[in-house]
Amino acid sequence: MTESSPSELPTTPQSPPAGGEGASTSPTVVESSRFGVLRVEPDAVIEFPHGLIGLDSRHYTVLDVNPGSGFRWLHSLDDGLLALPIIDPREFFRPFSLELSEEDRELIGAEDPAAAQLYVTVRAAPDPSDIVVNLRAPIAIWQGRGHQVLNAAPGAELQAHLFAFGQ
Amino acid sequence: MLILTRRPGERVVIGGEVFVTILDVSGQTVRVGIAAPEGIPVYREEIWLAVTEENRAAAEAAGDALGSAPALASIADAAQAGSPPAPGSPTPSPHTPAT
Repeated sequence: MTESSPSELPTTPQSPPAGGEGASTSPTVVESSRFGVLRVEPDAVIEFPHGLIGLDSRHYTVLDVNPGSGFRWLHSLDDGLLALPIIDPREFFRPFSLELSEEDRELIGAEDPAAAQLYVTVRAAPDPSDIVVNLRAPIAIWQGRGHQVLNAAPGAELQAHLFAFGQ
Repeated sequence: MLILTRRPGERVVIGGEVFVTILDVSGQTVRVGIAAPEGIPVYREEIWLAVTEENRAAAEAAGDALGSAPALASIADAAQAGSPPAPGSPTPSPHTPAT
């Protein structure tokens, strides 16, 4: 197995929130159980004020381990053991519908939620036909802040199969 | 567990900042209104439990089932050959790793 140097894994820079003066300028170093030592620049740190639902971490970064594959990793900066594979549902599900409550729209902060980075978690499995993604609770990232929101669109399943196979 | 009896229109205050209002009682159904600060997300329990389970499973399954990031990416590469799959449409078998 060949892997690039973990410290060189590309991250996705984030636009910092407005009024971010005084923010740290030194990289965050994380000992990742999956990718080795990560050095994450401040502009790639994403703050999740409420975390992901049911998980404690409040800071993450997006790792693009295999650019072009469509798969990324939402990696905790508070817990080196915690990383979730994610995809942009708009790349895999066409059309992808997003219906948010007014509260969730305000949380995201973007005037148009479609302008935010959007991801869904991937539940991997040895058999690709068993890989499912959570379209019900997408993760929106806007200006360095992330929120897991609830998608009320019809067909936004908690476990949507990522790959459809002929029977 | 604290147990209170309330009538429609009455409230319960939690921690001085969360207000639960009983709006309507009809048969087996109770409608409640909840006003909470922005820092306190409110979910239906079944949704909260289900999404928590999916988040934890996503974090655990990636390591257990696939072992490595390249394995996941190679599946994606193979499956994405051609156009991205749409729900319900057949796609090429991703069992052959991408080169």
